[in-house]
This record gives sequence, C-alpha cells and structure tokens, in this order.
Amino acid sequence: MSIVCVDVSKACLLWVCDSKLRIVAIFAGASVWLLLSCSLSYGVESDINCLRSIKETLQDPRKVLNISWNFENNTEGSICGFIGVECWHPDESKVLNIRLSDMGLKGSFPLGIQNCTSLTGLDLSSNELYGSIPSNISKIIGFVTTLDLSSNSFSGEIPENLANCSYLNVLKLDHNNFSGQIPLQLGLLGRIKEFSVANNLLSGPVPNFINASNLITADSYANNLGLCGKPLRPCTSASKSSNTGIIAGAAIGGVTIAAIGIGIGMLFYFRKASMMKKKDDDPEGNKWARSLKGTKGIKAS
Amino acid sequence: MERAVTVISGSTLVCSVFVFQLILLRVAANTEGDALNALKSNFDDPNNILQSWDPTLVTPCTWFHVTCNSENSVTRVDLGNANLSGKLVSQLGQLPNLQYLELYSNNISGRIPEELGNLTNLVSLDLYLNGLTGTISPTLGKLSKLRFLRLNNNSLTGTIPMSLTAVMSLQVLDLSNNKLTGDIPVNGSFSLFTPISFKNNQLNTPPVSPPPPIVPNPPAPSTGRESKDLERVCVRVPANPEAASACPPCIWAM
Repeated sequence: MSIVCVDVSKACLLWVCDSKLRIVAIFAGASVWLLLSCSLSYGVESDINCLRSIKETLQDPRKVLNISWNFENNTEGSICGFIGVECWHPDESKVLNIRLSDMGLKGSFPLGIQNCTSLTGLDLSSNELYGSIPSNISKIIGFVTTLDLSSNSFSGEIPENLANCSYLNVLKLDHNNFSGQIPLQLGLLGRIKEFSVANNLLSGPVPNFINASNLITADSYANNLGLCGKPLRPCTSASKSSNTGIIAGAAIGGVTIAAIGIGIGMLFYFRKASMMKKKDDDPEGNKWARSLKGTKGIKAS
Repeated sequence: MERAVTVISGSTLVCSVFVFQLILLRVAANTEGDALNALKSNFDDPNNILQSWDPTLVTPCTWFHVTCNSENSVTRVDLGNANLSGKLVSQLGQLPNLQYLELYSNNISGRIPEELGNLTNLVSLDLYLNGLTGTISPTLGKLSKLRFLRLNNNSLTGTIPMSLTAVMSLQVLDLSNNKLTGDIPVNGSFSLFTPISFKNNQLNTPPVSPPPPIVPNPPAPSTGRESKDLERVCVRVPANPEAASACPPCIWAM
C-alpha cells in the first residue's frame, strides 16, 4: 500500500492508494480541486443572490432598496456600494454586514440571507418585520457577531438554535412580541457583551450567562410577562408557585386536623364503651363471688 | 538709537523664526516625499503608475495616488490594483499622519516592515492579494486607531501576534489564505472575529472544530514493487483546510 498526497489549493487530502487506484486518486484530486475553486467563485455569486432575495421578499414602501439595490450591472464589487451593505473588500462581492435599520421594510425574516455565507453583522431593527425567527437560524446566519432585530413585530418563541450562533457578541431582540420562555441555552453564548429581550411577552426563568453575568442587568429583561431568576427576583418565590404552595399546605393541614379530630373522637367513644361494659360485667361477677365465698367460708373453719 | 536697535533685532528675530519654520516645513514635507520616493525606487512599475512621483517637488502632495491634509502631510497612499512588484521599504513608517495605506492586489513580495507600527494614525492597512512573506510584526499592535487590517491572500507565516487583540478599534480583520500557524486569539477585539477571518491557514482550530481524523486499519505489508514508496499510516482527513494542519508536507507521487 502506498499513500498519495495531493496538494489541493492549501487543503490536504490523504487516502490509501495502491497501484490500481492511483489513476482514480489523481482524477478524484483534480475534480476536488475544480470543485473547490468553483466553490470559491460561487460564494461570491451567492452573495448577489442573497441580496436579490432580500429585495424580493421584503416590501419596501419607501423605495429605499428599489433605487440603490440595482442588479443590472454585475461587475465585481458592485453590490458593495448598495445602501446598507458593507463588504469585506471594496472590490469583491462578499458581504460583511447588512444594516437596514429604520427603512420601513415589511415582511418576514428573509431566509435568502443564508446565501450571504460570510455575513457577520445583521441589523434589521426599527422596521415592520413580523412572524417568527426561523428555528434553524444558526444554519442561516451561523457566523453572525451582531444580530439586531429590535423594534419590529416579530412573534413566537425565541429559537433554541440561536444558542448555536456561538460568535454572537451583540444580541438585541427587544421591542417585539416574542412569547414563551427564553431558551436557557442562550447562557452558553461565550462572547456575549450585550443582550436585550426587554419589551416582549416573555415569561419563565432567564438564562445564566456563563461569561457575562455582570454585563446583563435587569434592564435586559424589563417589561415582559413574568421573567425570573438572577438578576431579577428569584424564581422560587414567584407568585404562581407560592399559590400552589399555599393550597397544598392548607390541604395537608386540613387533612391532619381532621385525622386528629377523628382519632380523639374514636378514643372517647371506645373509652366510654369500655366503661359501660365494665359496669354490666360487675354485678354478675359479685353474685358468683359471694356465692362461692359463702360455701368456702364454712369449709375453711 | 536704542529703539532702532530694538526694532531691528526684533524684526530679525521674527524673520529668522519665520524662515526657520519654512525650512522645517520643507524638511518635514521632504521627509515624507523621500519616504515615498524610496518606495518608488523599490518598485517595478510596468504601468508607469508612479510617473508623477517627482522627488524634486517641495511636497509629494501633488503626486497622483497621494493625498495630503491641509498641512501638506500625507494621509493616503492609494496604489491598489496597480500591477506593482518589488518590496516594501522601512521608510513607510515615516508618514506620521498616514491614515490609509492601500497597496492591495499587486505583486509585492518580501516582508511587512515592522516600522509600519510607527504609523499611529493608520486607520486602514490593506496589503491583501500580494506575495508577501515573513511574519506579522507584533509592532502592528501599536496601531491603536486601526479599523481595517486586511492581509489575506499572501504567504505570511508565523503566529498571529497577541498584541493585535489590544487594538480595540479593529472592525474588519482578514488574515485568510496565508500560512499562519499557532492559536487563534479570541480575547479583546478578536471576540468579534469568526473563522471567516482565519480561513485557509494552518492555525489550530478552536475547541468547536470538525471531528478529528479517523485512523483506519494499520498499513498492509508492502510488496516488492511498491517498497520504494513511503509507507505511512492511512488517515482520512476531511477536505477542510483548518483540519489539514495534521497533514505532512505534500508531494505529488505519480
């Protein structure tokens, strides 16, 4: 057995080869190289499709994107001049950040953003976006470091999958209609520096952020339905759980008192019954004893 | 008489100060012009992009691709996509007000001068898409106003200097497509940077990484015909550049 090592544009592929498979290995290596180089250039074209799909899926009543986002001239880096678009390099169509804050945009979360494979920042704040955040969000914007969806009309639950966006530094979901519990897994986001879910309809315990517990204050959670846990009031003395506690305690107490009462009552009853039984027995016993005593007395003397 | 002497000495003083300032200004401007001229001398310029770079002029501020501020001090050098080859010079560090150094997409070779660390006003350092070699100097950590650091697509080696994590103004970092080794910092400003910034290097992958290489059956005994070839343990490595750090140097075996 011999090993063929094929240098494929800085990626190294090793596999077992014998003399018969050598040709196959070389062919496979060449096709992988072609695929890799194809993927490098396809990645750029995909960014154009990403922006195209955003424009198509969002309603733009103020015509902000309509004028600026012109896809007719497809030269390299042309999208880098689009309003709200920041590229990694000025002459390459590779999107770094999308900032479309306060543009009157309407619609649901634009799923086509998945094609912006090098996206690190997304700001869609202060628009009229609705619906829920996709449940596979980390597959759509897995490398995002700043995600600002605040001041929209997003609803539904905050997806657990958001905890897989492990590079998140800033996560702003405030001023929306998010409901249910905050996924506790969000506490595992190790790079979080800023987090807010204020002004929503959330309830339940808040996550314990492993790396940023001192950065997250009660302000992050203000104006929700019933959040608890540090830095808010502890969850154990929350109104709902204490109600059930009182009810349970009262029930147990009542049963105990009733049992004690019954026990005392029964005690009295049986005492009384046994006392009455003794009186009945005595007269008969005495008669017998007296009759016995009489005869025995004569014999003894 | 005394009054005349006072007036004359006073005006002489003013005059000499004025002239002295003029000389100083000219000297300062010339230092910057000299620095850029040294760069021109080290470059091959087949497209004659640097034709306007005339060192006999008082300042370089009239040269094409050079921008100055109101005090005739160089703030920008824009030579991207200029088909330039040759090497960078240490004199580039003598442009104290330089904010934008744009030398991307050329054929520049050699090292990144450590003197670039003296450019304390630098906001953008774009040396990407060239043939630069050597290491990234830790002196770049002194560039406390740096926002864009794009060194991708070169042949840089060595480790990523930890001093860069102290540059809190950094917004865009691209070190991809080089030959960098060692760890990827995640503290300080580097908290903002994702694997996209470090793609295609030989850096150690962070804990959340692809599964380690699977080592299959031990190598079979070699036959006489293939005994010349090197015998190594068979390893299947995913086609992922980061995981390829485990690969030995590659040879093309026919």
